[in-house]
Amino acid sequence: MTQKNWLKTSLEIAVIVFASALFGIAWNRTLLADAWRGAPAGQAAPRQSAPGSQQVEALPMPIALAQVKELHDSGQAVLVDARSAASFAKEHIAGARSLPLEEATRQATPQLTGVAKDAIIIAYCNGFSCHDSMDLGKLLIKAGYASVYVFEGGLPEWRDGGYPTTGGKQ
Amino acid sequence: MKSFRSSMIPLALRIALGAVFIYAAIPKIADPVTFAGSVAAYQILPYFWSYVTAAVLPFLELTCGLLLILGVRVRSGALIIGALNVVFMAALSAAMIRGLDIDCGCFRPDGPKTAPWVALVRDAFFLAMTASVLRYERVRAR
Repeated sequence: MTQKNWLKTSLEIAVIVFASALFGIAWNRTLLADAWRGAPAGQAAPRQSAPGSQQVEALPMPIALAQVKELHDSGQAVLVDARSAASFAKEHIAGARSLPLEEATRQATPQLTGVAKDAIIIAYCNGFSCHDSMDLGKLLIKAGYASVYVFEGGLPEWRDGGYPTTGGKQ
Repeated sequence: MKSFRSSMIPLALRIALGAVFIYAAIPKIADPVTFAGSVAAYQILPYFWSYVTAAVLPFLELTCGLLLILGVRVRSGALIIGALNVVFMAALSAAMIRGLDIDCGCFRPDGPKTAPWVALVRDAFFLAMTASVLRYERVRAR
């Protein structure tokens, strides 16, 4: 390939990457602005719910291990375990409270006693293959909690990080 | 017959590769928050940059996929796809070395979990397809 051809290809690649980046950032501007501010989950990237429904479903924002640890240590967040009560009793993130998805679904609009509606809530379950925390997060947003996050790495990532867990009861 | 087959194979490869990247892009564009979570799971990028990646990457995949299917700027599109595959393979290898039990986040962010080694093999196959597309493209341009 001649030098001229390489220059042309490089220029094309730069244009494609730049245009895609520009379009992607413009398309997701609200999500990016919220992520930059660390804004409440309810405002980020709402997506349309089932066809025929006029409601726009708000999704909890994902949150990474480092941020969970920081909020946990500073006592700024309430960690909510979406797994079953038995799993919670066996082992859970130190300081977390239990709200199994099954129970929350039964309640429809689950309430966390003593937790303000504007408190930072982080739902977790058994890691990335587990979707209960995301489902619980959605229910909590529906129930009026404004700052709901989902820690998708969940208990396995927390434990692997060497961070404290409690439990041991059968 | 031979020439028909030899002209159809490069076309099929190019369209298949383009379709794979469009198929990968659409669910991520529809659900960038979940995809951001998949990116964050690799623990490579800072928190905010996981969102930037989730915002930009699917559109790059979509654009390159469309270019390959339409047969426009094929070399540039294929080179970007090749580079993306190399980056994906590096990230997957890093996840495997660190023993992260994560979903690769390659296609549907909320789909069934795909182990990193499965995704790595798949990406190697896509890289080979990209190399073939580039090779045929070079022959065609002569």
